[in-house]
Amino acid sequence: MIPTTWRRYHLSQLVNKALGLEKAIPFDFLVRGEILRTTLAEWCAERGVGEEETLEIEYIESVLPPQKISEFPHESWVSSVSCKLSSHFLTAAYDGHFRAFDLSRNTVLDAPLHNAPITSFTLLPSSSPSTDDTYTVLTASQDLTAQISQITLPGINNTPSSSKALATLHLHTSPVSSIAADSKGKQVLTSSWDGLIGLWDTSIPASDEVPEPEATSTSTDRKKRRKIQKDELETKPKRKAPLNVLKSHVGRVSKVVWTSDQAALSCGFDSTVRTWDVENGVCTQTITASEKPFLDITPTSNGQSALAVSTDRTMTMYDLRIQNLSAATASFLHPATPSCVAVHSSTSASTSASPSPTSANQVVTGAYDGVVRVWDVRSTKEAVALFKAFNNNDASGNAGVKKILSVDWYRDVVLVGGEGGLDVWKVQGGGDSASGQEQQVKRSS
Amino acid sequence: MANIDAKKTSVKRKHSEKEDAAPVALELSGLEMLTDEEDEDYNDSDDGEVDEFPEIDPSSDSEGDGLSEEEDGEEDDEEESDEEGYSSAESEINKRYVYFMSVFGIALRWPAKATNRVGDIPMHWYDDMPHIGYDINGKRVLRPATGDELDKFLATVDDPDSWTTAFDKTSQQDKNLTAEELDIIQRLHAGENPDANYDPYEPMVEWFTGKGKEEIMPLSAAPEPKRRWVRSKWEKQKIMKIVRAIRQGRIVPSKPKTTSKFEFYSIWSSEPSSSAPPSLPAPKPPLPNNAESYNPPEEYLLTEEEKKEWEEKDPEDRERDFMPQKYSSLRLVPAYDQFIKQRFNRQLDLYLAPRIQRKKLNMDPNSLIPKLPSPNSLKPFPYYKSLRVQHPKGRARCVSISPDGAWAASGDEEGVVSLWEVNVGCEVKRWKFDGKIGSVEWCPRQDVSYLAVGLEETIHFLIPPNVDNTVFAQTQSLLAPATLPAAGPTPSQVKWTSTSASSWPNDNPILSLGLPPSSGTPTQLQWHRKGDYVASVSTGGAQNGVWIHQVSKRHSQAPFKKIKGAVQLVLFHPTQPHFFVATQQYVRLYNLAEQKLIKTLMPGIRWISSMDVHPSGDHLIVGGYDRKLCWFDLELSEKPYKVLKYGILFSV
Repeated sequence: MIPTTWRRYHLSQLVNKALGLEKAIPFDFLVRGEILRTTLAEWCAERGVGEEETLEIEYIESVLPPQKISEFPHESWVSSVSCKLSSHFLTAAYDGHFRAFDLSRNTVLDAPLHNAPITSFTLLPSSSPSTDDTYTVLTASQDLTAQISQITLPGINNTPSSSKALATLHLHTSPVSSIAADSKGKQVLTSSWDGLIGLWDTSIPASDEVPEPEATSTSTDRKKRRKIQKDELETKPKRKAPLNVLKSHVGRVSKVVWTSDQAALSCGFDSTVRTWDVENGVCTQTITASEKPFLDITPTSNGQSALAVSTDRTMTMYDLRIQNLSAATASFLHPATPSCVAVHSSTSASTSASPSPTSANQVVTGAYDGVVRVWDVRSTKEAVALFKAFNNNDASGNAGVKKILSVDWYRDVVLVGGEGGLDVWKVQGGGDSASGQEQQVKRSS
Repeated sequence: MANIDAKKTSVKRKHSEKEDAAPVALELSGLEMLTDEEDEDYNDSDDGEVDEFPEIDPSSDSEGDGLSEEEDGEEDDEEESDEEGYSSAESEINKRYVYFMSVFGIALRWPAKATNRVGDIPMHWYDDMPHIGYDINGKRVLRPATGDELDKFLATVDDPDSWTTAFDKTSQQDKNLTAEELDIIQRLHAGENPDANYDPYEPMVEWFTGKGKEEIMPLSAAPEPKRRWVRSKWEKQKIMKIVRAIRQGRIVPSKPKTTSKFEFYSIWSSEPSSSAPPSLPAPKPPLPNNAESYNPPEEYLLTEEEKKEWEEKDPEDRERDFMPQKYSSLRLVPAYDQFIKQRFNRQLDLYLAPRIQRKKLNMDPNSLIPKLPSPNSLKPFPYYKSLRVQHPKGRARCVSISPDGAWAASGDEEGVVSLWEVNVGCEVKRWKFDGKIGSVEWCPRQDVSYLAVGLEETIHFLIPPNVDNTVFAQTQSLLAPATLPAAGPTPSQVKWTSTSASSWPNDNPILSLGLPPSSGTPTQLQWHRKGDYVASVSTGGAQNGVWIHQVSKRHSQAPFKKIKGAVQLVLFHPTQPHFFVATQQYVRLYNLAEQKLIKTLMPGIRWISSMDVHPSGDHLIVGGYDRKLCWFDLELSEKPYKVLKYGILFSV
C-alpha cells in the first residue's frame, strides 16, 4: 500500500530502504511502459486507472543527467565514431580522413585514407590478442570502395602513429554505406547504395584480384607509368574481390550488421529489414514496413530483435522471429529524423557477442536536430534522458542545428559524431543490475 | 263688392280732397286687384279677406296724413295733381313691395303721406337736412317731427297699439303694422307658410282614374315584336360562355357557400404583420447575485483595502457599482439611496442604447465548410522539413535531383554549383564559375552521369565525383569523344568545346557550349526523356534564344526563327516529337519533325510560371504567378479542362 501522493523520489527512497543499499541509488519507475514523472494520483487520473487497483511498478536505475566530458572539433563532418578502443576515440569524417584521439584530447592519428567521404568504419577484432598497438581498420567510402588499412597508434611502446592501406574492396558501383566485421575478424560485410551487400574475407591478397580500369591514356603513358609505379606496387593497396554478393534489396542498403557469426541483418531504403544466412548467401527473412526508409539498424543485445531508425522520424523495434508486419513491437517517436542508433554495451568490442543482459534495455539515438536521446525500450512514450550535442553558438553563421550522424555507447561514455565534430558525453546509470526486477505495489489513497 | 266700390269712390274723393292720402289709398286698394277692375269678380269669389285691407287703409292713411300735414302742407298741394296720374299698376307694385319689406322686418320706406323717393341710400346723408328726401315730383319730403325719449315712452304708455309699430327708415317715423302683417309674422313665427291663402289640404283632382275614366284601348297598336318570342342571340352567346366556363371548371355552379354568414376575425390572436419591423426586445438587466444580497456570505464582503480601492476608483472604473453590505435582518436595511439613479440609468439604457436585431441563422455551421478530402487520400505530400542546406552566400536559383535520387545539385547567383548528398545534406563537391547560374539539370540517362549547368551565355557539362568506372568511361566518351563527330552541314552559332580526356578529372567542365553572344542567361534547361537532346531557354538577352542541343552529335539548332512573345518555358513531349513552348500567356505545341505548329493552348493566366506534362503525354498542367493552375487535356480542347485557384505557384 503506497500513498497516491508519492512521486518518483518517494518510491526511490522506499526501494533503497527495501534493498538496504549502503549508498543510495536513484531509481526511475516504469508503470505500464511509462516512466513515472508525476504523482501516482495524477498518473491514475490521466490514464483512468482506479486508485484501488493493483499496479505493477517496475523500478530501474535512473539515468543521471548526462554530462559533457570533452569535444573534438573537426573540419569536416564526422560520419562514424567508435569507442571500442578503451584508450582512444576513433572518428571517420567526410573529408576522407580517419582520426584517432587519445583521452587527453590529442590527435594521435590523422590518416587520409580516402579521397571521398568515409561513410562508415569498423575495427577488425583481432583473433589473437594483439601485443602492440596495431589495429586493422575497415573503412567504407563514397568513392565506391571499402578499404582495409592498418593503423598504429602510439601506445605503451610509444611507437609513432602510422597508417597503411592494405587492400581495397571493389564491388560496388555506388557509394558504400556501411561496413561490418564479424566478431572473429574473419569476414566483412559491406552494404552499398546500389542494393548489394558484399561478403569479403580479411586476408590480404598477394596481387590484384580485380583488374585496374583501363586507362584512357595512350600506351606510351602506360608504359612510363608502369615503370614509375614499379616501386609503388609493393605499397599500393591490393584490389580485392568479394567472396560472395548478397542480392535481395531493391533499394539502397543503408546498414548491415552481424548478429552472429553466420547471420547478418540489413536494412535499406526499400523499407525492408532483412536477415541473411551469410554462409549460403541467402536472405532468410524479410520484414517489410510501409514507407519507412531505414537509415540505421542495430540488433538488441539478446539478438532477438532489432532497432531501426527511419526517415519518418521513428525508431521501431522489430522482433526478428516474426516475419510479417506485426514484427514491429514498439515505436519510438522522434521530433526530428533520427540518423543513428546504438545500444548500450558494457563489454568491449572484442567480446560483444554476448553482452551482459543487464544493459539490454538502453538505447541511444542521434537525430538531425542535434539532440541525443537515451531510451529505455520498455518505455516508448518518452526518452529517459536527452541532451543537445555540439555548441550551436558557433561562428559559422549557420544558425541551424548541427546534425548528428553517428553515436556510440560504451559503458558510461557516449560518443556523438556529426556536423559539429565529435562530442564525448558521460551517461551514467540506468539499465544495470537493479533493473528488470519487478515490484507489486498496492496503493491506497 | 259694393263696399269696395263705394270705398273706392270715397278714396278718390279723398284724393281729390287730401293730396297725400289719395295715392296711398289707391295703392292699398289695388293690392289684391291684380288687373284693375277686370278681375274684380274673381277676387270677390275667392275670399273675403281682401275686404280687410280697405279697413286698414284709411287708418294708415289718416295717420300718414296727419303727420305730413303738420309739416309741409304747402308742397302737398303740388303733388296732388301728379298723384292723380299715378298708374294703378305702379302703385300696386309699390304696395306689394312695402308688404314684403314689412314682412321681412325692414322698415317700410313707403310713407303713407309723402312717398320719399330717395331709394335705398343711407339715410344719415340727410341727417343735417331739414328734409329726408324727395317725392316723385321732386318736392322735398320734410322730416317728420320726432319727439324725445319721454314722448316715445309716453306714446308707448298711451297708445295701446304702440307695440305693433315698426320704425320706417324712409319716412323716419314709426308705423303701425297692419293685421295682415302681424298675421304673416305670426305664421312665420309658427313655421307655417306665410301666405294665409295657401291650403295644404286641397282635394285631389282625378283626371285619368276613377269611375268612367278607365282606358280600354292600348296606347300603341304596334304588332308584338319578334324579340318577345325569339330568344336573343347575344343572350345565347352569354349563356354559352357561362356554360363553357362551367364545363371547364372555371365556374363551380354548386359551390358550397361559406357556412357562416360573416367571417369573424380575431384581431388580437395573430402576430402583428411582418411588414413592420418587430420591436426589439429590451436588454435584460443581470440577475442579482450573492453580493447584492442584504445579508451576503462573508466572502463577498469587501475587505478594508478593497473598500479603499473601491472608493478611490472612479465610478466608471469600479467593478461593481455598489458596495456589498451585511445586515442581520431585512428590517435594518436602509433605503437605497441610489435607487432613483439606478432606475434612471436603466431607462437610459432602454431607450438610448442603440439596438439591432440580430437575425438568427438557423443553419448548421458545419454545412458551410466545404468537404475536404482526407489527408491520407492525398498522400504522398511533403509535411516535414527533414533537412536544410544553405548556400553560404548568394541566392540559390536552381536545384536538380540526380536520376537515382542520391544527389542534388544547386546553383546560386554567385556562380557556385554545389553537389549535395540528399540523405545527409552534406556538400560533397563545389564548382565555382564566373557569373550567375541560371539553371542546373541532371541528364536523365541512367548509364551516364553528368549534369548541365546554364551559365551566362554558356552551358557547362559536369561529371559528378565518385561515379562508377564504367559509367565514368561512358560519360567521358559521350561528352569528350576521341573522334569528334562530323560537323553538320551548316555551321552552327553554338560552339562546342570539350577539355581533353587526359587532363580530366579536375574541376573544369568536361564540355562547354558557347551560345551566341548577347543571348542572355539560359534560365531553363530541359532534357528530353532519352537524354540526348537538351533544350535551353535564354532570357534577358537581345533575342529570345530557344536552342535544342544534341549531345551525341554535338550539334545545336534554333528551332524557331522568331517567336511571338517572351518564351518562359519549353518542354519536350514525353512520347512524341512534340515541343511545348510557353510564352507569357500562351502555350504552343509544335511538331519538331514536321516543323509546324499543332495547337495553341490558352490557359488564361497572366504570366505562366511553370508547366509540366504527364508522362503519358496527354495531360499538361500550367501554373501561373497569379495563383492559378490549369489542367489541359490535350486531346480535348485548347481551353483548360480545370482551373485551380488560390495557390501560390512557382513550379510544377
